[in-house]
Amino acid sequence: MHNVWLIARREYIERIRTRGFLVTTIMIPLILGGLIFSSVFVTSKSVSRAHIAIVSSDTQLALDLQSQLEPQPATSRANQTHYTIDPMGIGPDTRSIVDQELASGDLDGYLWITPAATPAQRPTFTFTPRSSEQDYLRGALASALGAVLLREQLAHRGIVASEADAMLQPIEIRAAQAIRRQDHASAEIGVFILFFLMYMVIMLYGMNVARSIIEEKTSRIFEVLLATIRPEEMMAGKILGVGSVGLTQVGIWLFAALLLSGKAIAPVVGFQGMHIELSGAQVVYFLVYFILGYAFYSSIAAGLGAMTNSEQELQQLNLFLVLPLIACMIVFPSVLANPDSALSRIFALIPPFTPLLMYLRVSLGHPTPWDIALSILLTSISIYAIVWVSSRIYRVGVLMYGKRPTLPELLRWLKYS
Amino acid sequence: MSIVQLQNIRKVYDTKVAVEDLSFTIEPGTMFGLLGPNGSGKTSSIRMMIGITVPDSGSVSLFDKPFTRSVLGRVGYLPEERGLYKKMNVLDQLTFLGQLHGLSAAVASRRATLWCERLDIVEAIPKKTEDLSKGMQQKIQFIAALLHDPDLILMDEPFSGLDPVNAFLLMSTLVDLCSIGKAVIFSTHRMDQVEKFCNSIALIHRGHLILSGSMREIKSSYPRNRVLIHYEGDDAFLQNPCIENMSRYNGNVEIRLRPSATLADDAQSLLTQAIQHARVTRFEVMEPTLEEIFIEKVQETLPIKTGGKLSMAQLEQSSGGGHDA
Repeated sequence: MHNVWLIARREYIERIRTRGFLVTTIMIPLILGGLIFSSVFVTSKSVSRAHIAIVSSDTQLALDLQSQLEPQPATSRANQTHYTIDPMGIGPDTRSIVDQELASGDLDGYLWITPAATPAQRPTFTFTPRSSEQDYLRGALASALGAVLLREQLAHRGIVASEADAMLQPIEIRAAQAIRRQDHASAEIGVFILFFLMYMVIMLYGMNVARSIIEEKTSRIFEVLLATIRPEEMMAGKILGVGSVGLTQVGIWLFAALLLSGKAIAPVVGFQGMHIELSGAQVVYFLVYFILGYAFYSSIAAGLGAMTNSEQELQQLNLFLVLPLIACMIVFPSVLANPDSALSRIFALIPPFTPLLMYLRVSLGHPTPWDIALSILLTSISIYAIVWVSSRIYRVGVLMYGKRPTLPELLRWLKYS
Repeated sequence: MSIVQLQNIRKVYDTKVAVEDLSFTIEPGTMFGLLGPNGSGKTSSIRMMIGITVPDSGSVSLFDKPFTRSVLGRVGYLPEERGLYKKMNVLDQLTFLGQLHGLSAAVASRRATLWCERLDIVEAIPKKTEDLSKGMQQKIQFIAALLHDPDLILMDEPFSGLDPVNAFLLMSTLVDLCSIGKAVIFSTHRMDQVEKFCNSIALIHRGHLILSGSMREIKSSYPRNRVLIHYEGDDAFLQNPCIENMSRYNGNVEIRLRPSATLADDAQSLLTQAIQHARVTRFEVMEPTLEEIFIEKVQETLPIKTGGKLSMAQLEQSSGGGHDA
């Protein structure tokens, strides 16, 4: 154990000291934060506008429509379409004018109102959007028209305009949130953030383990090391050392996020009053599954590193590292939708999936303690097995020179001691 | 008491036999040369001595006990392929390697400094390893193998790539260690290098032990049958029947005498005859070099059809490439 500690400590100190560590620690949250912030900012501030011409011989109808669609500044809200309405009478060349404006992009569409043959009938309404993108305006126009025509009918029957307005006041259903629901939603966001954090760190540091093993091979220092320590000790030391660097980095990020979240970030990222809240148990589970996931994937990476002689060769093999993660992403939605189904339980017990999916279940579902214990046990066993096999491959692989081994050769290597 | 004892060890890599039936014993205070051309199994043998690989059959004993990893703290190893952490500071690196061999950080760092002084590379201590010259890196690696004061020192091709001054410095360091009772094993394919220093050798070729024993015994068991003559004038004396073969350059000739019971007298009569015909500026009866003994033994045990004299280069070729394991 002393040797594992020495290897891990050297790895940790040498890596923490590098400029690369400093740069990624600062840049990754900046880039991610920037992306999140800008997308939130853009969606909250962007206002869609629609410029519509209403062609009608009935000027009153067109004006009513205009006042219906163009709301007073006081009532305007974010995330609503702002309408600009041009009422037009029907002239001989009206059609060509609106078509031209439509083509030039001035108009998003026009509504052509053809008067009915008899007063008892309704006029015909034809909406021409600039493109199918503007087709959504049809619904808004229809409901506005409905309101206008209804008000007209009401006026005909002698109802005062103010009363008619009161009757036509749109009914608003407030989105009230049940307490339980809100927990669920905030947990969901927490899971997503941690999921991507985990994914990124596993990819980043798993590859670092592989690289650091290849580095040991190319510098050929392993032979000095193998003269005093076992390859298993060296593998374990590498995984621990590089892993601690990853944990340090995540720790710095989480700490910074905690400092900032109370004040600056929460109003921006917290989607309309929904905060990201993590319970203590969630943090503990996150750490447990993060460490398991990290150890699992980095021991696979260590095996890949042991098999290859250069970074280029590693690139070809890193599919094996990415594939389980991608598979995990594929089953992710079904577990998210139903965290306690039999299928989810099975998925969450498969070691490559366990760290992410079991964490998801812990946060959103109700896994039994038995499920949790089993998942931790299975993952730990498979980590041990992978490290064992990897160190075998490593020991024989480093003493061989030249080409990458074939599968039968790898199997033969396992028999060597 | 023996430091190393190999008994009938054998190692096969896939289809290539790296070492076959190799046995020898090394006593304390021995400077042991493991000699052979490239790819003859030197590195494989050394790796098996310290458990980096395990022999397929046969047994390895270190310090009179069957090999266990617990004795590795008493072994210092300089691999053939040098390797150090490039980005690491020299003192940190040496301290780290010393700690892996069981030293405390303080002791390791103090000894590292002392060794750097002894090998005249004090200026390297604060530098990064990648900023050092090849020779300096080699010295650092040399120090790393000796830092924990091992009783058994294994050096795989320790002088390759070193200039003569530094090679001599390292060699005399090893001789000093040997004189205080450490056993030093080093492998090399440069046989001329070791003749002066080794008191015991093992010659291996294609994984087989060809010859082993103390240097003095081996040399004395071979007749002094070679004569070097520098002369001016008539070369009729070269018709002498005691000459088996010779190679002539201008004005000097290297003669190999026909084996006979009266070898020493043959040389004298050759000298008498030469003086009668020519002016002799140099006449020397020489013992065979290690290289010649080696070639002769190889030809005896593994007859190879070659036109004339077998050279080291041919031997290396016949050993085959493959992985140098």
